[in-house]
Amino acid sequence: MRLIVKNLNILRSILNTINTSFEMKELVESAGNNLPSLFEFSAFGLFWKEESTLYLYQEESCPLSFTQEVAKNMLRVLNILGEGAEELDRVTLQIEKKKLRPSHMAMDPKATLKSYLTLPLAVEEEIMGCVSLNSDQPNAYDAQDLQFFSVIGYQMAATLKHYQRFSSIKTMAIYDTLTGLYNRRYLEERLMAETQKAFYGGASLSLVMVDIDHFKKVNDTFGHTTGDLVLKEIASLLKNSTRKKDTVARYGGEEFVLILPEAGLEVTVAIAERIRRQIEQTPFEVGQTQLNLTVSLGISSFPSHHAHSKEDLIQMADQALYDAKRGGRNRVCVYNPPQR
Amino acid sequence: MMVKETRGGKWTSDLVLDLYSNLLSEVWDVVSALIGEAILELLFTLSVRKIGEKYPFLNTLNVSEAGISMDRMKQEYRVLSPLEIHRGFQSLLNHLLTLFSALAEGVISREVFPKVFPKVREAERLISQK
Repeated sequence: MRLIVKNLNILRSILNTINTSFEMKELVESAGNNLPSLFEFSAFGLFWKEESTLYLYQEESCPLSFTQEVAKNMLRVLNILGEGAEELDRVTLQIEKKKLRPSHMAMDPKATLKSYLTLPLAVEEEIMGCVSLNSDQPNAYDAQDLQFFSVIGYQMAATLKHYQRFSSIKTMAIYDTLTGLYNRRYLEERLMAETQKAFYGGASLSLVMVDIDHFKKVNDTFGHTTGDLVLKEIASLLKNSTRKKDTVARYGGEEFVLILPEAGLEVTVAIAERIRRQIEQTPFEVGQTQLNLTVSLGISSFPSHHAHSKEDLIQMADQALYDAKRGGRNRVCVYNPPQR
Repeated sequence: MMVKETRGGKWTSDLVLDLYSNLLSEVWDVVSALIGEAILELLFTLSVRKIGEKYPFLNTLNVSEAGISMDRMKQEYRVLSPLEIHRGFQSLLNHLLTLFSALAEGVISREVFPKVFPKVREAERLISQK
């Protein structure tokens, strides 16, 4: 009786730590830290399908072969549940090693998986992943272990569902729903961070403002649905033409902004010119006809243009874009400070 | 196989359905105590979906966190051959046992096997009765 009460108290404390975790890594670690009070295990794993990530909390001396066996087994169980065959080499492993047993009881380097309990993490019939206890000892788990572990799994599933909802709210807050690019709000935040980094760190930072030429004509002639498709295609083209560290955002209507950290004028002009050429050479399919589009681009750059704030950079790129439009469109213009 | 009537006047199909209804309730009680209703509901739903492809009468099983109800099945499939009912449920139980083993090796199966085997044997006996 005393043992049951003790175990229930431990269980309560584990559920509490799961409830108050804000990130997956934290969730696994806080659960992992408490689980040894309830179960004997060599590795505790949580696989989250959405991120294709397997979080493992395991004994320090756990050999790699054992880790792989655990990972394979968890994916096998998901496969049996009909959740498709996730390939191990496509799964990201996040391993946290902890001293779970005294040194003289370290795991045999040739240890194999002898017992396990794996439960699906499911809410409203949706399997979000699975959670697993694994041991190198035979018959390590009994019915009571399963009962406790299922309560923990149930709570984890509920917490994951909250994460999922929170992440979709976050997505709505920073992405433009039509193009999938960052929205203006996020752009302002990012630009603030990048300008501070550049102004105080002395690194270069460039901004490119992109506007689709005569876009109103596309909407008027082919309708807004076609206009939306064109915006999506150009958005994807911009995304594919920039570097990993660049930020591509929809500024509004048919206007886009690229933030290029650590890019001087020369690099920025090369990127902008490449984008201009690529769009000029890309035929956009609209029903039976092909549409040829062009874009105008305006560039501002720090430190070349002596900007003092993010607003300066935006205003300068906007001015350069205006020059590109006035100069006949389908061109790249660099900000030209007014002559005194 | 034709539907047969027993001495008490109850159809064999009804008897087989009753038998499996009791068995599934027992399995539900034992396993839900081990892994909880939510996960068990999921496992049952997945199994019914899979085995229901071959035995469509199983799709009338109503699975929820409250348990399993065979009311609709009993109304709609009492004229189905007892052998077909028996085979359908056997496949369903086999699939469930495979899932239980995949999740927890022998931990669940150890509790469930003693309930399942006598009932399945009884179903076989009912069907083979002349």
